[in-house]
Amino acid sequence: MIGRSPWQRWFAILLAFAAIVAFDTDDARAEYGDVVINNYSDAAGMRPAIFPHWFHRVRFRCKVCHADLGFKFKAGGNEINMVKIIDGQFCGACHNGELAWSVENCNLCHSAKPGTPTQVHESTIQKLAPAALQKK
Amino acid sequence: MKIERVILPVLMSVFFGGAAFADAGKDLYNKTCAVCHAAGIAGAPRFGNAADWQPRLAGGTARLYASALKGTAKGMPAKGGNLTASDGDVKAAVDFMLASVKKTASASPAKPAAAPAAAPVAAAPKAAAAPAAMAAAPVAAAVAPVAKIDATANTSGASAADINSFNRLLKPIGKRNPPPAEDGIHDPANDGTLVLMAPLAAYGPLPKSLAGNRVNWVKAIDEKKINPRWDRQDANAAPVVIDLNIVREVKGSMPDVVYPHKQHTEWLDCSNCHPAIFVPQKGANAISMAAILLGEKCGVCHGKVAFPVSECRLCHSKKKEFRPAQATAPATK
Repeated sequence: MIGRSPWQRWFAILLAFAAIVAFDTDDARAEYGDVVINNYSDAAGMRPAIFPHWFHRVRFRCKVCHADLGFKFKAGGNEINMVKIIDGQFCGACHNGELAWSVENCNLCHSAKPGTPTQVHESTIQKLAPAALQKK
Repeated sequence: MKIERVILPVLMSVFFGGAAFADAGKDLYNKTCAVCHAAGIAGAPRFGNAADWQPRLAGGTARLYASALKGTAKGMPAKGGNLTASDGDVKAAVDFMLASVKKTASASPAKPAAAPAAAPVAAAPKAAAAPAAMAAAPVAAAVAPVAKIDATANTSGASAADINSFNRLLKPIGKRNPPPAEDGIHDPANDGTLVLMAPLAAYGPLPKSLAGNRVNWVKAIDEKKINPRWDRQDANAAPVVIDLNIVREVKGSMPDVVYPHKQHTEWLDCSNCHPAIFVPQKGANAISMAAILLGEKCGVCHGKVAFPVSECRLCHSKKKEFRPAQATAPATK
């Protein structure tokens, strides 16, 4: 910035502002890999659950959930329900009040906007075929 | 009343350059709605296009308000994705868009489809007064009302660079890794949402990349910036890392693919990939970019959580040996 004429600086600011305004409505903004699971939530009057991959991969390697705990590589493909979680399966293997906070904290997982469909956010498929996802 | 509501904004914006008429609905339209509703992106009804709006008007204004506020299954995000806008402003923006079509509809109420054709006559002096605006709306330059709104947008300082800006559809820096309450999927009205960690709070010390989370996760482990557990309970368990590269020759001019077991076994167990996704046998796996894009093979992870397919050269990394003489001189063997 320093050394440029005021006109150039003004123009740069204007461009930056224009860019921000132009992109203000980007609705696909969720973090890459965030999984929304809405198998039963909407029907049960709960907000859909969101699984943040990024947060978990900082702490665990893929193998822990996808091999040891048996999570299939498919959003919504695991038929997870609260009974299984309380029994210590799936999320409940860690979210048991010992390794991680337990199931009383409903709203920490069930935090999506109601009606959000099951999908992996920012995934290639979501970007390629949003219409196909909505039909489902 | 109706005529005043329609005519006044137009006159005011033309004669006073829009600056004197500080309308919340128009502001929100320019800032948020216009991104889709100016050009009709994703099937959005276009500003000033009566034919687009006609079927929607049949449901009543209240229903349009509801769609704008809560979003629709067809692709309209709640409040156009701008959740900080107040309900009143959103409704005002809907009114503003409706006003644009009511004007053209009243010009030729019997044939809404002919409205765009009739409009240029009425709006000719206004459009002529803003030639820059016409140039700024290539998609709908022929539709006078759209050009008109651009004229008001320009003079009110919103800038013509919006539409022809670089990388119009890419995610700008300010919109990457948003905190949960602003990411479009978490419900900001949920108390738990506010407790959740924001991605950027975690990414600070991690090496950067150009795609996905914009974190180079492989490097993050290599540099020991993170040490994710290999076992749920045992913090000291270590993975069995296999250092074995598999080279896949690919068709065309793309460099061949080098698949490194090393980086994958840092994260994954053999059973994650073998034998369900990849048969552990050379030549037994038909892999194509089409399959990967659809979430199969490498695409089971790459393009969902692992780095996305936009990073071609991370896989296609082995330059082909160019052997033009091979066909004529087989004796080189």
